Amino acid sequence: MPKNADLLQGTLDLLVLKALLLGPLHGWAISKRLRALSSEVLNVGQGSLYPALYRLEDEEWVSAEWGTSPEGRRAKIYTITPLGRKQLAAERSAWRLFSAAVDQVLHAS
Amino acid sequence: MPMFRARFIRRVRALFQAEAIDRELSDEIRLHVELEADELMRTERLTPAEARRRALVAFGGVERYREAHRDVRGVRWVEQRTQDIRYAVRGLRNRPGFTLAVVLTLALGIGANAAMFSIVDRLLFRAPPMMRNPALMHRVVLSTSYRGTVNHDIYLPYARFVDLTRDTHSFSRTALFTEDQLVVGPADNPRQMMVGAVTSGFFGFFDAQPVLGRYFTAAEDAPPQGAPVAVLSYAFWETSYGARADVIGQHLQIHATVYTVIGVAPKGFAGLWPDAPPVAYVPASTRAAEGYPDPKGEPWWTTYHWTWAQSIVERKPGVTVAQANADLSQAYARSYQAELTSSPGRQPITLAQPHATVASILSGRGPAESELAKVATWLGGVAFIVWLIACANVANLLLARALQRRREIAVRQALGASRGRLAAQLLTESTLLALLGGLAGVAIAQWGGALLRTRFLSETTTASVVSDPRTLIYAGVAALVAGLLTGLAPLWQTRRMNLTSDLKSGTREGGFRRSHVRSGLLILQGTLSVVLLVGAGLFVRSLSHVKAVPLGFEPEQVLLVDRNERGTSLDSTHSQALLERLHAAATNIPGVISASRQLTMPFGNGQIAGLTVPGVDSVDKLGKFWLNAVSPSYFATMGTRILQGRGIEAQDAAGAPGAMVVSQAMAKALWPHANAIGQCVHNGSERRPCMYVVGVAENIKAGQFGDDPGLYFYLSAAQFSSDQGGLLVRVHGDPDAMKETVRKALQPLMPGAAYVTVTPVRDIIGEQTQQWQLGALMFVIFGVLALVLAAIGLYSVIAFNVGQRLHELGVRVALGATGSDVVRHVVTGGLQLAIVGVVCGVGLALGLGHWVQPLLFQESSSDPIIFLLVAAVLLVVAALASFIPARRAANVDPMRALREE
Repeated sequence: MPKNADLLQGTLDLLVLKALLLGPLHGWAISKRLRALSSEVLNVGQGSLYPALYRLEDEEWVSAEWGTSPEGRRAKIYTITPLGRKQLAAERSAWRLFSAAVDQVLHAS
Repeated sequence: MPMFRARFIRRVRALFQAEAIDRELSDEIRLHVELEADELMRTERLTPAEARRRALVAFGGVERYREAHRDVRGVRWVEQRTQDIRYAVRGLRNRPGFTLAVVLTLALGIGANAAMFSIVDRLLFRAPPMMRNPALMHRVVLSTSYRGTVNHDIYLPYARFVDLTRDTHSFSRTALFTEDQLVVGPADNPRQMMVGAVTSGFFGFFDAQPVLGRYFTAAEDAPPQGAPVAVLSYAFWETSYGARADVIGQHLQIHATVYTVIGVAPKGFAGLWPDAPPVAYVPASTRAAEGYPDPKGEPWWTTYHWTWAQSIVERKPGVTVAQANADLSQAYARSYQAELTSSPGRQPITLAQPHATVASILSGRGPAESELAKVATWLGGVAFIVWLIACANVANLLLARALQRRREIAVRQALGASRGRLAAQLLTESTLLALLGGLAGVAIAQWGGALLRTRFLSETTTASVVSDPRTLIYAGVAALVAGLLTGLAPLWQTRRMNLTSDLKSGTREGGFRRSHVRSGLLILQGTLSVVLLVGAGLFVRSLSHVKAVPLGFEPEQVLLVDRNERGTSLDSTHSQALLERLHAAATNIPGVISASRQLTMPFGNGQIAGLTVPGVDSVDKLGKFWLNAVSPSYFATMGTRILQGRGIEAQDAAGAPGAMVVSQAMAKALWPHANAIGQCVHNGSERRPCMYVVGVAENIKAGQFGDDPGLYFYLSAAQFSSDQGGLLVRVHGDPDAMKETVRKALQPLMPGAAYVTVTPVRDIIGEQTQQWQLGALMFVIFGVLALVLAAIGLYSVIAFNVGQRLHELGVRVALGATGSDVVRHVVTGGLQLAIVGVVCGVGLALGLGHWVQPLLFQESSSDPIIFLLVAAVLLVVAALASFIPARRAANVDPMRALREE
């Protein structure tokens, strides 16, 4: 298994929102999609997903409802809200700026 | 904002449904782990147990994330606060002495404030109940100048009210009102009660529909005599009529008029008299026609001479106060001009400069507010100072405690408690203390406030502190602010704490450091105490000046008997016969020493005479001459001495030559170089017959305690106004007890619905001294309170300092300092603070003196005796407060102090 990257604080929110952009998911499915999207690089503490989900719900970036999972189990399904889409757009551009800046520093000299 | 509301709801839900949320989370986690394990079994072909283990590892510790989850949803915050409170309660319980001192101090400060607030609020802030829009409602104040001083008048004649209503356009409504203590009800059970006489527009100022019937109309309130209709107050309807609906149409006698009840005001309606609500409201015209003192003169609705009622107006929306004032003033000027044509004797308009203002609906706000309201406002400020002193004291106690706990706090910090957390704990503790103090304070206010309210608010029917939400809120805010303020002081101290040094040293060395904050607080306390004590001294001296004023009579054991004919109109002969019967009956009551006729009453009512004296030019220029008509026993009854000649005697009967007794001041003013006895005086023009001066009596105070020229004379009641006036009765024993005896003995002599009232003369005089009495009493209470608090503060701080410095003092003793050296050292420290406090306090009191001067009587607000006395008292108290702990320090065994670590 490749070494896990440490998740920068706040980036988890961004990733979760991105994962939900493709459609409503329950907790485990979100974590699986994150791993798939990042080619298994981002795999830190799956548990940290849940406080993050609560926080996102609190900010009203996602909404949650109890329903039935694709596996036929009772699960809490998360959906991104319009507010969440806006937030994702904002965070994405902020992230681009940030990563470009970090890249620039790393490529300097 | 809906977002925040939704979040708030979730937070609250998180608090109260924590279990449900935890359960949901568990479900989610279980599902996650199971699905992960299934996946691992499928992809990596692990055994179920191994797959589950790997899934749990990947999850990363279920409990840890549960905690993190809780943190996010804000349960943690509440848990921490609960913990803080529990911690604070434990800490306070462990130190009952400290807790008690702080709570008591705060209770006194907050209690004094809440009690005063409940009064000041009623006088200055609270609009009358049910008033529609108090901000647009105003009382009318008329002002004129006379020889350079501006006089404000809130009473006006009916004609003026009509003029002002007609000639202004800034007001949507106007009304006239007055109130009177009148006898209400049938003759067999007559009771004096408040009755409001109001114009028909008065009720429009309130949102108050009658619960029964209706209010009176403009037609029922029109000159010449209105209609005999009355609206009852809800309370009176309940108590006297059992809240029966058939009260409408019933008859009720008030004073001389029999009214028909046409309506009942709603519950809580009190007109403009929230503290003494009238039992009934009658048309102003009806009452005016009945009470007009000059029925033979100009009609009451056109005369400008009878000022008997106050006026209120409602400003139209959009009209500013300045515009309203200008509008009202031009109307008043026009009205004044109209008055001049009918009575040219008044000052010309250019000198009088009449102008009018719309003032607050609350009369306590002035202008022309009562002296009592002024004193109450002052005392409100004084109570606030007491609160400040209490806060300073508590802050000091908390500071001392925080210093003692330095080490404990350092340990807790080292163990990982964040600064925020420590601050929260300190604030929790002080707030808890303040709330306890607030509770105790409300109890004090409830108990002490009852006493105050009866003095400030006449016959209050309402309100204890506990049942008054405004006062409770005020007490709560006072407590919370006190908690925050006092908590900030030790917080500021922890900010500067040095963790390592505090940990390394013991409490001993770490503890003592001269604190400017604490010294500053002590000086502040001293300063404020001086100010309050000076105030107390000034009022006490004023009161003693007032009491020392020679009245010229001895009011203690004298009762005033007044007749009230109440509609039974007796002709002159019958009235005179009735007075003679009453006089004779009063003389024979057991316990009565003597009884006398009187026409006027010093400090009660007066009558001014226009005199002509042969050989004296323009008598009126000498001042106003007050007259009384009395029977022979008057001087013995009142205790006024005859200095020369004789008093009024039986020989001064009707038909005999007119006799007159003059006051010493009057004799001196009229005949400075001649003997007064035998001189001729005409009561009126010189065409009236001579009255001869037969005696000179000592001067009396008749209207005010201050400068009074004392031009007073007595005629024989048999010769002048023999059908008018009442009686004075000198009694043995307690005049209050004799009051009823006298009333019962005389009442059967009264015809029809007429009745007698009996009032102790000392009460009539007492009303005049009330402001000084009250000022003295309250300032002394608050001043002593302040001094006690300041003394406790100084004592506790010095005791604490000494405790912390035992080591240092031990070294001093070991190096050869004697016990008295130590005492001197410590006491000097305390006195230094006290001296600075005294100096600041004296300066502040001198600065404030200007404002309190008008409330004093023959007393300068910078009276050096008071200032010296207060300074001495404060220094002595400071010396004592430092001496007690100093002696303890002197007795310290140096070896023990040094060895102790």
